[in-house]
Amino acid sequence: MQRSTTLENVPTDRNAQHAVIDQARKSLGRIILGKDDQISLALACLLARGHLLIEDLPGLGKTMLAQALARVLGLSYRRIQFTSDLLPADIIGVSVFRQESGEFEFQPGPVFSQLILADEVNRATPKAQSALLEAMEEQQVSVDGNTRDLPSPFFVVATQNPGDQIGTFPLPESQLDRFLMRVEIGYPSEESERELIAGEDRRAMLKDIEPVTGPETLVLLQQAVRSIPVTDALVSYIQALVRHTRESAEIEIGLSPRGAQALVAAARAYAFVAKHSGVYPDDVQAVFAAIAGHRLKPAGSTRFRSPAELCQHVLDSVAIP
Amino acid sequence: MSNPRGTDGSLLASLPWTLAALTISLVPHVPFLPIWITAAFLGCAGWRYIIERRRRTLPSRWLRAGLALACFLGVLATYSSISGVGPGSALLAVMAALKLLETRKRRDQFVLLFLSIFLVMSSLLREQYLWSVPYMALSLLVIMTAWLRMSAGESQSARQSFTTGGRLLLYAVPLAIVMWVFFPRISSPFWAVPIDTSQASSGLSDTMSPGDITSLSMSNEVAFRVAFEGEIPAPRDRYWRGLVLTRFNGRTWSGREPSISRSALDQIEVAGEPVNYEITLEPTRQQWVFALDMPTSWSLRRTFMGPQQQLARMTPIDQRIAYRVTSHTEFSVGTEMSELYRNWYSDLPDDSNPRTEELAREMRAAAGNDRDFVDAVLKKLNREEFYYTLEPPPLGRDPVDRFLFETRRGFCEHYASAFSVMMRSVGIPARVVLGYQGGEINPMGGHLIVRQSDAHAWTEVWLDGLGWRRIDPTAAVAPERIDIGASDAAFDGVGQSWGLTAPSRLVHQLKLTWDAMNAKWNEWILGYGPETQNSFMKWLGMDDPSWRKMMLTLVGLVIGLILLISLLLMLRYRPPQKDEAARLYRRFVRKTGLTPRTGETAHAFAQRVLKSHAAPGKAVGEITSAYMDARYGHGGEIAHDRLRVAVGSMR
Repeated sequence: MQRSTTLENVPTDRNAQHAVIDQARKSLGRIILGKDDQISLALACLLARGHLLIEDLPGLGKTMLAQALARVLGLSYRRIQFTSDLLPADIIGVSVFRQESGEFEFQPGPVFSQLILADEVNRATPKAQSALLEAMEEQQVSVDGNTRDLPSPFFVVATQNPGDQIGTFPLPESQLDRFLMRVEIGYPSEESERELIAGEDRRAMLKDIEPVTGPETLVLLQQAVRSIPVTDALVSYIQALVRHTRESAEIEIGLSPRGAQALVAAARAYAFVAKHSGVYPDDVQAVFAAIAGHRLKPAGSTRFRSPAELCQHVLDSVAIP
Repeated sequence: MSNPRGTDGSLLASLPWTLAALTISLVPHVPFLPIWITAAFLGCAGWRYIIERRRRTLPSRWLRAGLALACFLGVLATYSSISGVGPGSALLAVMAALKLLETRKRRDQFVLLFLSIFLVMSSLLREQYLWSVPYMALSLLVIMTAWLRMSAGESQSARQSFTTGGRLLLYAVPLAIVMWVFFPRISSPFWAVPIDTSQASSGLSDTMSPGDITSLSMSNEVAFRVAFEGEIPAPRDRYWRGLVLTRFNGRTWSGREPSISRSALDQIEVAGEPVNYEITLEPTRQQWVFALDMPTSWSLRRTFMGPQQQLARMTPIDQRIAYRVTSHTEFSVGTEMSELYRNWYSDLPDDSNPRTEELAREMRAAAGNDRDFVDAVLKKLNREEFYYTLEPPPLGRDPVDRFLFETRRGFCEHYASAFSVMMRSVGIPARVVLGYQGGEINPMGGHLIVRQSDAHAWTEVWLDGLGWRRIDPTAAVAPERIDIGASDAAFDGVGQSWGLTAPSRLVHQLKLTWDAMNAKWNEWILGYGPETQNSFMKWLGMDDPSWRKMMLTLVGLVIGLILLISLLLMLRYRPPQKDEAARLYRRFVRKTGLTPRTGETAHAFAQRVLKSHAAPGKAVGEITSAYMDARYGHGGEIAHDRLRVAVGSMR
């Protein structure tokens, strides 16, 4: 179901690029009500070429966000429902013997799409999970000794129900690191919920929504993000944050250098989404919980109930240089 | 599709500057251009501005072509030519005006600004006054600003563009000076500009009729300036010999075409010390060369002395020239004279001015000899009721008769003419010399200014045994004219009796200062020709200066200067201090009286400041955004400037 790419008007100047992002945010905001922060984070994650893990209870719109992203950004989209009997071949594809030609022919699996929704990724066995995670890491898959490139852009949105539910295989920390961001959606505000209940069916709306851009533009935007300047002052701030996570008594394992890199990349993308002239401390703070939340291991004695609280504590204790 | 002739107001910010640049460069041309061209320019400029303002469309191709053709024909009709300075600049001006009507893009604006630079330059073909320099500098500054406005971002104010433009021009000054000094001057410029001969210049004419000099005496224009090597001679010795008039037709004295006389110089016998000086003569469009009576040697090439000891150059003086002269104020000329010349110098037309002739014969008979007769005539002019005035009554037929017997009011030319006629009536050779008398010493420059108002006519009579003697009958009537000089007389109240108005002392002082500057300007800048350049190069240590050497030096110096200026700029460049933005921001924080919390971003802090009304919202917004841009964005110096200004202007 690879959608043929329409002829894109690829925006080359910064204003036009910002306009694309704005339109995408607006369209997404119409479907996912009252979750502007999460939408911005998801877009930033995509622009930073990272993968997104959405973690929350069922029914909060995780799937909807992933679908809406694919639709609005004009990406080819496949959904893989992770179950305990999912096999790696169900994700990657299989080689089938063709009687007529007498040869094996590769049947690409759902992973050969630009945006993949890995729904309830923690329900599958570690074997199936690692098949996906490897594909995410390498941007390519190996089948029968052949290496096949995955499409570009390649963006995985995985959803996960919090691990305290029955019959799940929570992703280990090392695997979690593969996701650039982990975002929680949370309950909608009262106002948004009224509209959700009374308003139009979101699924129907999703069908009507027009893509605002396409994969080529997205690749271009991803490149543009990397030209956002990171000044010395900001690097100092990030270093201070990272150092604090390593030295704080509340945290057992702090951010790794890779975590610090992820923080910079995500902040850059967020600055782009926020139309800032450079990466501001605000951008770092905005992405910090999404970046650090699943990478930090709180100390056993911690007084913070959630990673989000812990992250806010870190931000509140590090001075902006 | 967008209309190819449509405007979208995008030039609205830079267009007024472009118009200003064009206007300021056109102004020096305006006095010389026919009025319709100025009107056409203003019309097009206004039209174009309104089009941009109201986002209308530009005139169609056909209308523009029609206008261009009409203007071309207009210029052709006005000047009946399209070459030369006049029609050339008229075409340039009118085409610049029409270019406005097709200016849609930045590229067109570039063309317009190039045109304005060309207009500025072409005004130099007309005149190169001292004030042209500051005016040109101003014009270039406006053009540079217009240029910068075209590419200026929104954050850049017009004032910033203006100062940047000024700075860029300043960098160019040393280059301009070096180019001016070293660019080889060629003796006969192949780029010679056709001189606008239609323009009348004031000065002495070749003939003298009553009233000719009067018109000059009102003119304050400088005729020439003189720099003496030693002391400046006394006013009564400052007779500047010009042309000599020998023929009289009853009304008008006329001379001969400039001609060379080999014996003229030999006839001069000198006594006393020579006077050495340099004259800078303004263009006269004539061949006469002025010098202190009596010149004995001069540096000007292709200049000769005529039979009546008048100096003339072979070609008219179309440009300001400077020359050195040696003169003697004590001299005698031509003690020997043949009968033929005697008759020629005392020739008078028949039946003109009969009463004068009769009077002369009577007085000659009474006097006994020629010398006493001369004295008697001078005495008569002095004792009887003759008045010196710049506004003499008109004279009809037989002007000398009418003057001597009826009006008795006149100016130097009347007296010189009457005196000569009286001399000739009794057979004494007499001629009229036209030139200047006196001159004003400019204490600022130490030089003497001789103006058109110093124009003077006197007589020379030939007396047996003495040769030609200078007799100034005006001195007999108004000795103060000679002793004080026309310029100074204006202040002494004497001038008022002649009909001059007294200028204010201060204004006069300013004028003298201006004149001194002009003299230096003429001497050093405009007079920097092949000879001056050659000697300057030698003074700089270049032996045997050739154009090749000068060109090489020029190129070397230009490259060197560019490197030097770049180096200086690099050394001067201080990237904003590492934490300058932070320092400025801390000042803002102090001014608000609030303390940022740990981990509070500038935006969050700004929100808090706004809530507490500790500072005006606009300033807080500007400071926060400038700070973020300076510290974390591309900001650079512009953002630092913004921050500095915003923090500085907070209470």
